[in-house]
Amino acid sequence: MSERVKITIDGKEAWVEPETTILEAARTLGIDVPTLCHNPALEPYGACRMCTVEIVGKGWSQLVTSCNYPIRREMEVLTASDRVVRGRRMLVELLLARCPDAPLFQEMAARYGVGRPRFETQQADLCYLCGLCVRVCHERVGAKAISFVGRGVEREVATPFFKISEACIACGACEFICPTGAIKVSDITDKPIRPLPLEFDMGLRGRGNIYIPFPQAVPNVPVIDRAHCLYFQAGTCRTCEEFCPPHAIDYSQEDEFLDVDVGAVVVATGFDPFDARDKPEFGYGRYRTVISGLEFERLASASGPTQGKIKIDGKVPQDIVFVHCVGSRDKQQGGEYCSRICCMYTAKQAHLAHDKIPGSNITVFYMDVRAFGKGFEEFYDRVRAEGITYRRGNPSEIYRRGDRLVVRAEDTLLGRTVEVEADLVVLATGVQPRADAAEVASMLSLERGEDGFFQELHPELRPVDTKRRGIFLAGTVQSPKDIPDTVAQAKAAAAGVIVELSKLRRKAE
Amino acid sequence: MSADAQTKIRSPEDLAQLRQELQRLRHPERPCLAICAGTGCLAYGVNKVIDAFHAELELRGMADRVEVLATGCPGFCERGPLLTVRPQGIFYQRIQVKDVPEIVEETLIHGRVIDRLLYQDLRTGEPVVHEADVPFYRLQRRDILWMNGLLDPTRIDDYIALGGYSALLKALYTMQPEEIVEAVKKSGLRGRGGAGFPSGRKWAEVRHAHGDLKYVICNADEGDPGAFMDRAVLEGNPHSVLEGMIIGAFAMGSRQGYVYVRNEYPMAVTNIGLAVEAARSHGLLGEDIAGSGFAFDVAIRRGGGAFVCGESSALMQSLEGNVGEPRAKYVHTSEKGLWERPSCLNNVETWANVPLIVNKGWEAFAQVGTEGSKGTKIFSLVGKIQNTGLVEVPMGVKLREIIFDIGGGIPEGRPFKAVQTGGPSGGCIPESMLDLTVDFDELSKAGSMMGSGGMIVMDDRTCMVDLARYFLAFLKEESCGKCVPCREGIARSLEVLTRICDGLGQEGDIALLQELGETLQGFSLCALGKSAANPVLSTIRYFRDEYEAHIRDRRCPAGVCKPLIEYWIDPALCTGCTACARPCPEHAISGDKKMPHTIDLLLCIKCGACYDICKFNAVLIRSGESPSPLPGEGSGEGSVPSLAVEA
Repeated sequence: MSERVKITIDGKEAWVEPETTILEAARTLGIDVPTLCHNPALEPYGACRMCTVEIVGKGWSQLVTSCNYPIRREMEVLTASDRVVRGRRMLVELLLARCPDAPLFQEMAARYGVGRPRFETQQADLCYLCGLCVRVCHERVGAKAISFVGRGVEREVATPFFKISEACIACGACEFICPTGAIKVSDITDKPIRPLPLEFDMGLRGRGNIYIPFPQAVPNVPVIDRAHCLYFQAGTCRTCEEFCPPHAIDYSQEDEFLDVDVGAVVVATGFDPFDARDKPEFGYGRYRTVISGLEFERLASASGPTQGKIKIDGKVPQDIVFVHCVGSRDKQQGGEYCSRICCMYTAKQAHLAHDKIPGSNITVFYMDVRAFGKGFEEFYDRVRAEGITYRRGNPSEIYRRGDRLVVRAEDTLLGRTVEVEADLVVLATGVQPRADAAEVASMLSLERGEDGFFQELHPELRPVDTKRRGIFLAGTVQSPKDIPDTVAQAKAAAAGVIVELSKLRRKAE
Repeated sequence: MSADAQTKIRSPEDLAQLRQELQRLRHPERPCLAICAGTGCLAYGVNKVIDAFHAELELRGMADRVEVLATGCPGFCERGPLLTVRPQGIFYQRIQVKDVPEIVEETLIHGRVIDRLLYQDLRTGEPVVHEADVPFYRLQRRDILWMNGLLDPTRIDDYIALGGYSALLKALYTMQPEEIVEAVKKSGLRGRGGAGFPSGRKWAEVRHAHGDLKYVICNADEGDPGAFMDRAVLEGNPHSVLEGMIIGAFAMGSRQGYVYVRNEYPMAVTNIGLAVEAARSHGLLGEDIAGSGFAFDVAIRRGGGAFVCGESSALMQSLEGNVGEPRAKYVHTSEKGLWERPSCLNNVETWANVPLIVNKGWEAFAQVGTEGSKGTKIFSLVGKIQNTGLVEVPMGVKLREIIFDIGGGIPEGRPFKAVQTGGPSGGCIPESMLDLTVDFDELSKAGSMMGSGGMIVMDDRTCMVDLARYFLAFLKEESCGKCVPCREGIARSLEVLTRICDGLGQEGDIALLQELGETLQGFSLCALGKSAANPVLSTIRYFRDEYEAHIRDRRCPAGVCKPLIEYWIDPALCTGCTACARPCPEHAISGDKKMPHTIDLLLCIKCGACYDICKFNAVLIRSGESPSPLPGEGSGEGSVPSLAVEA
């Protein structure tokens, strides 16, 4: 490192590494210099000229663009001298004349006191040729799908020969970086633009390539999605690495297999929700307004994709139908067992829907309601008292009529077929053993029951032990259960572990 | 190419010996027909003249006794095709195929001068026999151009015979690289491409820049309308440029050079290509140049003709194979240029000056010129001028000398109005400043610039607003569009100028143009944008009244801007010859034979056909309310000066 250089910007002093740009120095000093073509991820371009500042000396001054002027010697800089501001105003006027509809320039005009441009508006454009899209595509993505075409005012951003680009990888970086929304990926490529769904929100919203998997994740740090990361896929980009101030990005990290010696194991691998696509008569996956219980859970959550507002495609449903026992107590699909949680979560969700959408009509189709836990029956009564209709009967079919859904079922109390129209149908999807349960079972040499859940040593007396000493079960790996039951079983398993470990210690002593 | 071309030069003695041999073959008393085969004369059809001479000499059995030399452009394009009969030095101008037998018969055989082919002094009307006595040449100082009329640019032998490559050998064998850089520094040579950056300083920066790979580049992307200095040098004497580049490469420690030449200059491309090949085969380029151990080679790259590619950083982008766009030069190209390596870019004329400095010494070079601008400068003198052509003068001569003494003044005795120097980005200098001395600093002070040396002369029939509009229209087409002020600012300046020319100017438009100009000058990325306002600002500075007349009185004082003028026929002058009615495309002119005609202004589209054809100067232009006679009454051409002599 060579010696630091002193720079005075608007009267504030700083010592910077040589080759630091004036813009960087100004920003470390907290001085705002407007930019319209600058992005720290890209090489300075110096095209918009908004960041022009004045270097002043004794009896001379020079206008330079701060984004690409490397500081090499001591200097004094004014970022908002009269000359600078006069020029910036003209630039804003010129840009506003070019892009009268761009809010960016309307705001800038207001900021710089620029009124209506004194030029004729020829053709309103949103693109002001800052080149951010072109540069990100060349410098970071490496696809070089778009470039500048033409000269002077005829210049534009385009694909070669204005044809649909073969080179475009539909990453969307151009659209993302564009300050005025002038460029659309769909104009460049006909490749499908794949959104990246946030898994935790059941795909109800997207996420970036770098994301925190869910709120309160442990550890609560972002991860890189290798399958979509440009660096892992194409060796380009590496923008995040430059931007992370503590240099925490490490592309070399790999998944690891660890061998750990332990005295006891608790198997608490949980469950998979039933995939409602396996019951095609309900139209899940076909109709956007047929959703699973878990999806409803995210919709109703304050940290979810809609901030807790129950909306599908921006619309608030008025008529909502809940369907019990989807994938539970079912001889054809899912399990024959009762999933034990659906009755109560449906009651809770019906209550939330009633609460969040005043005046909504809510119908619950049930086989029979199993409100067996402490306070459960009282809650069920309260929900019914709120005016939520419980109809006994299993729907046979859900189909579309216009832009609404019709739930067709036999009301077994009335003994006749009923059809209920709905804007939203929530399927109370049940609990299933995890897809990889067999693998885990064979690894641990454990047995599973007919239903696929892990087999406890004794259904009544040894509900957390297994036939292998030192291996315990906790939670839904053993059978469907709700949170209080899971906690109880987990504590029991923990107690079992303590016993086991203390025996081992005594033996060792 | 002679057989000698294959012998490599390995030492200064080799060169001296070769030169002696070549000079022996070129006996000074041997008859020679030196015919300009430059682009201007080619357009006049000089090829046929040359063929005719060959045929005629063949017919008379004189082919082996008389040399027909197709030379580069000596500069007097106005009078082409040009012929000098040597050894007498008889100068014939505007020769045609039909003159060929007579010239051979009379002048070559009988030694008689053909009077009708001689040039007549514009002032005295006296015929001038010898080339050296033609005022156009006599008043110049042709340090660079002198060889153009003496050699065939496709033959290295001609160049060597005239002393070529002696500077290179001197540099390689008697000078240290540092010494050469110092000499160029002390000579005061400044870049001839436009900005006038001290060449020696640039050379020193490149020499001292870090890196093993350094480039020297010749900018032959001359793009100014009406400018053809570099073209004439590269076409007419490519070896002088090449020699300068090799010396520069030796001085700066470069192994690779590039000539960036626009594809619109086909002859320049061919001739520099031949020069490079010939220099290679003579051992003057490539490995171990002239036995000195120094290695350097030159590649030729053709440019697509974008004006902006004459800007150094855009040129380098283009050389790299990218779109020619400038970048910020806060880090000089002498530090990071072509492929991010130290690069020395000089234009054609600058390189051609280098052998001169080495040969004569920097002291001699620095004696010519002014305090801040040394040596000579070539100007292309075009527009409303008697002697269109290339003029080489020492720095510091007065504009008046160039325009009136050498250029012969304005045709038809019309008054001088202004001269535009420095190409489209230059400025207009009015009559009151004709005694301005021409050098880099004085022209800048006057709001114009030296540029690459274009000089466009205008008479009183030029509307200065229209002129500014013309240049801005050119610049709008040529702006690369990268930076906002240049792209948008030029287009908007043009918009305002157009509305003024259309009679739709508003109060405040002049101030708006000045504001735009200030932004262009201060905020543009490259020199093209920074100087783009010069035509507007300089015409506002010196001809503000014309702008005001357009805006306030809706009047074009020069009678040029169509929406502001009307044609009318003076009944007192009209003879009723009907000549004007016939070419009128709109049949707007009516009148009986031998009776004064009238123009129906509702039908008239102001094409000017009647004005051009009237022999009695009865068709007049008027503008605004004022019926006062306008300049330009009489015969007329359009306002925008004819720019290219080749056209």
